[in-house]
Amino acid sequence: MKSKIITAIVALVIVALMGWGYYSAAQHRAHGHTSELDPKETIFEHLGDAYGWEVPFNHSLRIPLPIIVWGQDGLHCFMSNRITGGETYDGFKISTSEEHNGKVVQVMPDGSEVRPWDFSITKNVAGLFIAALLVIWMVMKLKRWYVRNGMKAPRGAKGFLELVVDFVYGDTIRPILGKHAPKYAPYLLTAFFFILTMNLLGLIVIFPGGANLTGNIAVTLVLAVLTFLITNFSGTREYWKEIFWPEVPMALKCPVPMMQLIEVLGMFTKPLALMVRLFANMMSGHMVVLVLVLLIFIFTSLFGVGVGIGTSIFSVAFTLFMLLLDVLVSFIQAYVFTILSTIFISMALEEPHEHAEAEPVQEN
Amino acid sequence: MELFTPEFGLVFWMFVAFVCLYCILAKWAWPYIIKSMEERADLIDKGVAYAQEAKSQLDNAKAEADKLLAEARNEQADILREAAKMRNELIEKARSDAADEAKKVSQAVQVSLEQSRKEAEKQLRTEVGDLALQIAEKVIRRNIASDDAQRALVDQYLSEVETKN
Repeated sequence: MKSKIITAIVALVIVALMGWGYYSAAQHRAHGHTSELDPKETIFEHLGDAYGWEVPFNHSLRIPLPIIVWGQDGLHCFMSNRITGGETYDGFKISTSEEHNGKVVQVMPDGSEVRPWDFSITKNVAGLFIAALLVIWMVMKLKRWYVRNGMKAPRGAKGFLELVVDFVYGDTIRPILGKHAPKYAPYLLTAFFFILTMNLLGLIVIFPGGANLTGNIAVTLVLAVLTFLITNFSGTREYWKEIFWPEVPMALKCPVPMMQLIEVLGMFTKPLALMVRLFANMMSGHMVVLVLVLLIFIFTSLFGVGVGIGTSIFSVAFTLFMLLLDVLVSFIQAYVFTILSTIFISMALEEPHEHAEAEPVQEN
Repeated sequence: MELFTPEFGLVFWMFVAFVCLYCILAKWAWPYIIKSMEERADLIDKGVAYAQEAKSQLDNAKAEADKLLAEARNEQADILREAAKMRNELIEKARSDAADEAKKVSQAVQVSLEQSRKEAEKQLRTEVGDLALQIAEKVIRRNIASDDAQRALVDQYLSEVETKN
């Protein structure tokens, strides 16, 4: 009975929102904004970064964010609402040119546009900070539990968090890295929880979320580079020997350094794969959802409102399914990144084979 | 394409954000959380082992108590048996002592009886001799003649009587 009432209310809200959406779109058009729907642009706008954070149900209002640029004449700081309307402020504007589309540029006296060093707190940067603060808050809460309650097992959300920590550390990092685990666990756990939080925040449509963070190659690039650096800086003699003088027939490595070439390439392909995997998975998830939602508008503009309503039912159902799938993917990709980083680090930490055979008890 | 070219500003801030996050959590959170979790896991393992040991000890204690009880029972039975034996011995001894005493008493009685009998015999002999002499005197008074040969004859008779007795 209760669930039926809830379903009815949700359906009513959806229908009301749809009506309101059509009405506002009609108003929009009536006021002379004859904006043709450009699916590609809309998708890339939502996947990409922005100066300012959009507010639901409003096309122009954005939460202003600070813009910090190092131009030809030094540092400039101002809020993004000064230029998001297309104005030029202090010699800076958001470019509409082919080359720097959507980015802040400095307008030179001769009219040309130069891209400054852009340290702006964009939507994605703000999203990063929010995610980082969330992670700190969560983890510190768990820690405070232990400080206060000692040996008692945490309950509720903290218990779930501990379960995840135990799953990542106890079941993945410790078995793979063995005695080295405590040294690398902070990095791996931080990476896991940061990626997970960013993934999940990206699925929330409105303000604190909605930034497509892990579906942005810059974010995954930094994570992959960090794993690459940690892997190679903790590489043992054996690791480097395996790369530059592997145990293969002499013909493969001496006159032409074929194996060395492959191994060195492998050093770089591993983090590259990490970067692309996370980026592509998260971005494609967002993209599918966007396309499904856009289908409603495409069909409406092609065949009229009736078909649009029919499409919206299917689209919303599929979008819901995709978003639920993305929740799963968020966990899986965060975990995959962590476990692969762990494995790369453990490969870099490998000891000579004879040693490993002589003292198998030490390796646990 | 914009999507595949990393933006410098975002890379910079991501690096800063991640390094800050790492430093804060690596310093104040993860080691403590991991340590706490492992300590608790150890504690639970130890608790289980302790409980198992306690249970086995309890079982042992029960067996031991049963053993002690059985021993005590045996001892009790031994003591009772000993006591019974001692009692029997005491009774036996008392009885034999009493018998000895009684024997002694009866012996003393016999000795005194013998003595008094001998005295009585002696007295009787004298009395009988005197009596016989008196009789003989009366006889002789009648015969007037008193002869030594006759007195010897009387004495002889008396001795005969004595040996007959």
